[in-house]
Amino acid sequence: MSAKLDGEFREFMHARWPAMVRLAYGLTGDQGHAEDVAQAAFARAYAAWARVRRSGDPDAYVRQIVINENRNRFRKRRVTERLTDSPPESVLIDMPWTDAIREYDERSALMTALQRLGPRQRAVIVLRYWMDLTEHETAAALNCSVGTVKSQASRARAALRQAAELVDGGRS
Amino acid sequence: MRIDDECDLHELLEEAFGAISPHPAPVDDAIRGGRVIKGRRRLALAVGAVVVAASAALAAPSVLHRTAAPAPASPGQPHYTVTVQPPGRGSPPGVIALGTINGQRWWVIADRPGADFTHPGQQDIVTEGPAVGAPDGSDQYLPPLSTAGSPGPVSFIGITSGTAQVQVAAVQANVSYVTVRLGNGTVLTLHPGSVYGTRAVAFAIPMRATITEVAAYSRHGEIAFAVPFNRPGGMAWIISWLRPGQVTAPGVSGLIGSGTAGGQAWSATAYLGPWGTCIGLDGGTAPGGGCFLPAAAGVITLDQGCTPEIAGGLAPAAAARVVVTQPDGTKIQVRLVTVGGKKVFAFAVRPGAKPIRWVAYASAGNVVASSGR
Repeated sequence: MSAKLDGEFREFMHARWPAMVRLAYGLTGDQGHAEDVAQAAFARAYAAWARVRRSGDPDAYVRQIVINENRNRFRKRRVTERLTDSPPESVLIDMPWTDAIREYDERSALMTALQRLGPRQRAVIVLRYWMDLTEHETAAALNCSVGTVKSQASRARAALRQAAELVDGGRS
Repeated sequence: MRIDDECDLHELLEEAFGAISPHPAPVDDAIRGGRVIKGRRRLALAVGAVVVAASAALAAPSVLHRTAAPAPASPGQPHYTVTVQPPGRGSPPGVIALGTINGQRWWVIADRPGADFTHPGQQDIVTEGPAVGAPDGSDQYLPPLSTAGSPGPVSFIGITSGTAQVQVAAVQANVSYVTVRLGNGTVLTLHPGSVYGTRAVAFAIPMRATITEVAAYSRHGEIAFAVPFNRPGGMAWIISWLRPGQVTAPGVSGLIGSGTAGGQAWSATAYLGPWGTCIGLDGGTAPGGGCFLPAAAGVITLDQGCTPEIAGGLAPAAAARVVVTQPDGTKIQVRLVTVGGKKVFAFAVRPGAKPIRWVAYASAGNVVASSGR
C-alpha cells in the first residue's frame, strides 16, 4: 500500500476507533471482546483499504465488517461458552442511591438486559436505536428482511422496557 | 430508568456505550494483521500464476480459416505482448484469470454476487496488478456474471482499468474454450473456470490493442464467432455473435448527431458491421458509447452518469419519425439518420427525474414501436 493510503488508513482508524469499539461493545457486552472485534475489523479493512475507500462510505464499510466479525465470533464462541439465565453480577444493588451509583446501576441493568437478548435482537437495538440506522439500513446490515427488523425490534424493546421497570421497581 | 419511547432508549444506550473508555487505537497491530491477510491472498494467487505465453504460433489451425475477414490491424497498433491463464490449483475462490501485458502481471477476481452490502444485487469484479494500473485492485460493480439474455454463447463485459482494457465474460455450459485473436496476430485461448457457480473467462490487453475476432468452441468444434467493434483508441465491444462460416459485410460508419451540451461540444457516430450497431460519442463530458443487441430498437445513454448525458438510438426500419420524451417531460422529434441501412439518432438528454421514453411512427402516422412501460 502506498504511503498516502497508509496515512489515510491510520488517520481513519484513529478517528473511528472509539465509535467502532462502542459498536462492538453494544454487540458483545464485553469491552475486551469489543476491542478484539474492532481490531480484527480494522485489519480486514486495511487489507482491502483501496476498495473500502472507493466504496464512498468507509465508515459504513467498517461498521459492516464489525457486525460480520462479531457474528462470526459469536458462532465460534458459543461452542465453548454456555450462556446462562443468571448474569454474573446482580442487577439490583442494595445500597444508598447516589446519582453516580444510580447511573452505574442503570447502565449495568441496561447492558445486562441487552446481554439477555438474542444476538440478532441485540444487533437490531444497537443499529436501530443507538446508531439511528433506518429499518432498511438495519435490514441490509444484518442481511435480513425489514419485517424481521420490525419484529425483532418490537420484541427487544418490550424486553428492555420490562428490565427497566424491574430497576424502577427495585428503586422504590 | 424509563424507556417510554425511542428517544429514551437512544439516550440510555448513548450513556451506556459512551461510558466505556476504549484503549488507544492499536493502529500498528491492525496494519500488521491487514498485511498478513493481504499476504495470504497474494500467496494464494501466486500458486496459479505460472503464465504461459500465447502467440499466433500456438493458434489452433481451426481458428485461422474464418470466412469473415478479420479487420486489419490499425496503423496505430501498439507493440505489445500479452498472456493469459486460468487460475491454477490452490487459487482462492473467485479468481477468473491471470496474465501479463508486456511482462507486467494482472489478475481478475470476482466477489460472490451480492457479497458487498454497499452494492446490493451486484457483483464486484476486481482487476488488480501493475499491468492494469491497479496495484491495490480496482473495483467494478456490475450485474452478476451471467449468460442469461445473451445473444451468444459468451457474454462479455469490457472494463477500463488503467491503460488496459479488461474483458470479462460468463460462458455457456457447452463452451469448452474461447479464442481471442488480437490485431497483432496473437491468439489467446481462454479456458472457462467456475466462479461462484458461473463459468467465466477474462483477459486484459492494452487499451489501444484491437481484437479482430472471438470464437467459442465446444468439444465438437466451433459454436459461434464474433467480430468485435474496436472503438478508435478505445475498448472493443463484443456484442453480436455469428454462425460458423457466416459471411459478413464490411463495416460502415456515419455521423448521426452533434451539438453543444453543458458548454461541451459533442458528436456521435454510428458504426455498423458484423458486430451489430454501435454508437460512439466524442467530446461531451466524457467519451463513451454503446451497442445495440441484434434486432433491438431503443435508446441508450452513451455517457451514463455524466451531466448532461448524450443518448443514442436505433429505430425500427419502418420508422419515419421518432418522438422522445425527455426526463424533464419535454418532447422532441429526433433527426433520423440512415447508416448502412439502419435508422439511428442521437440527442442531448435534458436532466430530469423521469426515464427517457420514445415512440416510433411509420410514415402513415401509426406507431411501429415504443419504449416499454
